[in-house]
Amino acid sequence: MGKLNVFWYALIVFAAVSLAGCPKSNPNPAGDGTAAGEKGKTPPNQGLSRDQSKSSDLGTGKGSLESAGKGDSTATPAGSPLQEVYFAFDSFDLTNDARATLKKNADWLKSNGSARVEIEGHCDDRGTNEYNLALGAKRAQAAKDYLVSLGIPAERLSTISYGEELPVCREQNEDCWQKNRRDRFVISSGRAPS
Amino acid sequence: MVTKILVAGAALVLVFLLTAAPFYSAVVIDIDKPSGRVVPIAIAPLKNLGSGEDRRGVSDGVADAIANDMKLSGWFRVLDRSAYIEGPQSGITSDSFDFKNWSTIGAESLVKGGFTVQGDDLTVELRLFDVYQAKLLVGKKYTGKVRDFRRMAHRFADEIINQFTGTPGPFNTRIAYVSKSGGGLKEVYFSNLDGTEKFQVTTNKSINLSPAWSPDGRTLLYTSFREGRRSLFLYDLSTARETRVADQAGSSIGGRWSPDGQHIAVSFERAGNTDVYILDRTGKNLRRMTEDRGIDVSPSWSPDGNRLAFVSNRSGSPHIYLMDVATGNVRRLTFSGSYNTSPDWSPKGDKIAYTGRVSGRFQIFTIAAQGGDAHQITSGGGDNEDPSWAPDGRFIAFSSNRGGGYHLYMMRENGENQQRLTASGGDDSNPSWSSRLE
Repeated sequence: MGKLNVFWYALIVFAAVSLAGCPKSNPNPAGDGTAAGEKGKTPPNQGLSRDQSKSSDLGTGKGSLESAGKGDSTATPAGSPLQEVYFAFDSFDLTNDARATLKKNADWLKSNGSARVEIEGHCDDRGTNEYNLALGAKRAQAAKDYLVSLGIPAERLSTISYGEELPVCREQNEDCWQKNRRDRFVISSGRAPS
Repeated sequence: MVTKILVAGAALVLVFLLTAAPFYSAVVIDIDKPSGRVVPIAIAPLKNLGSGEDRRGVSDGVADAIANDMKLSGWFRVLDRSAYIEGPQSGITSDSFDFKNWSTIGAESLVKGGFTVQGDDLTVELRLFDVYQAKLLVGKKYTGKVRDFRRMAHRFADEIINQFTGTPGPFNTRIAYVSKSGGGLKEVYFSNLDGTEKFQVTTNKSINLSPAWSPDGRTLLYTSFREGRRSLFLYDLSTARETRVADQAGSSIGGRWSPDGQHIAVSFERAGNTDVYILDRTGKNLRRMTEDRGIDVSPSWSPDGNRLAFVSNRSGSPHIYLMDVATGNVRRLTFSGSYNTSPDWSPKGDKIAYTGRVSGRFQIFTIAAQGGDAHQITSGGGDNEDPSWAPDGRFIAFSSNRGGGYHLYMMRENGENQQRLTASGGDDSNPSWSSRLE
């Protein structure tokens, strides 16, 4: 049951984030609702019931290829618990920053034991497509190996390379290129509360 | 559409040579001399020898196709049709028109011809004349279907080039390539060099990459994400069917037929590591060719099938290496620069073209197969990538974003006469130049 509690927590966080930009609408307009807390504060259970149908949007499921097919961005959605790591040109070495991010990602994975992750390796658009597919694979594997070394079981981690094919931006400058030299972590399953 | 293309190729028959006299050309193009002179050539719209209307535009269509091929070759200057004194219904044999009508406008060479349409059938005759000597150099007669008229024109264009250089030209061919369809998705296409008869091979709304022709031009290999993970596929032009070739060794990257059509060289990636393999033509009997922990990718066959050029970063950054297929012996080929990828071995066997990074941009280089200096053959703004040799070993197709967005270009093997081939709205890249079509 510990897993479920954590999932409620994750949903609450997502609900709070998504409600932050929404106009307030109280399902208990009389103000005497059982779930109502202090005036102005969003009651946790209210957020849950409203957003249960959105649980799959917690940065889960839709990888970069699926997003591209729908015309959506291939960036990691805001609010995803797993952040990207970045690489130097033609490199798949993990920087200190990358290791720090991977440690945080590992912590989340340990707290969400049912979650499986697909690690996508990406490159900037310089260089040729075939070499970049191979390089992206190295980048994804580097992150996987490090997560495994931090105690995440390898069976929970899959890898795929998209090379330079699915960038998050297309400008021809280092600012954009740096954003594309990345590993992205797509949560591919997490049990929804029944 | 596919049957159309298939039947077009199959129905085409070369009937007979229309000249018995030995030919000699007063004009010779020395292809080894850089910036050699350009031959002024006139290409007249064809004479309608039959009684029907020219509903399919054969008269201009054949002339346009030949003119465009001459322009792309860079060896000819095609004279503007508006300057021609004779109309299309004038005589087309040496005794039936006045060569002075052509020398006056500056033509040294002249192409004239005629056609007959009967229902769906087409007969085309084409003649190449030396204007100064008032002599026929070569004549050909082609029969087929009306829709084959461009194919006939490209055959004759290759014949013209043969007359002037001693080697047939590369225009009776197709170029396969990848075109972006939005959002990073890419589909495989092929067309003639001049962009006509464009055909979409993949329609799977995914990412499709690295098209590669079989030596007989009947099938195309390509790599696709259509099933979520990368696999190698084969498209058969005669059946319009796609089959998955092989993926038992991991996710595939690129795939190229050996010149004898018996093997496929391909890279497979597994657990982050990419290596070069050879499969037989059924996709079985895998032979792993590289085993180091680095990236080994993008194999390209030598024309005798005995060696592979490929990319490896075993020295710390990607360079081109050569491998003997029988023994597995590897020799490093490139030493200049720090990033050399996408090799393509010339059908003449003497050189390898590749993409090299220099001053932060990507350019096309050639290097002798036995090693030596690297020759940079593109320059200027933009990136130039993915060279693919023409079957005559004298031209290279490549992709370039010099015009904003990637398009296909072709050039002479020394970098001269760079001309754009595609001008679609999307990005076009990854060209593969077929062998000469039957």
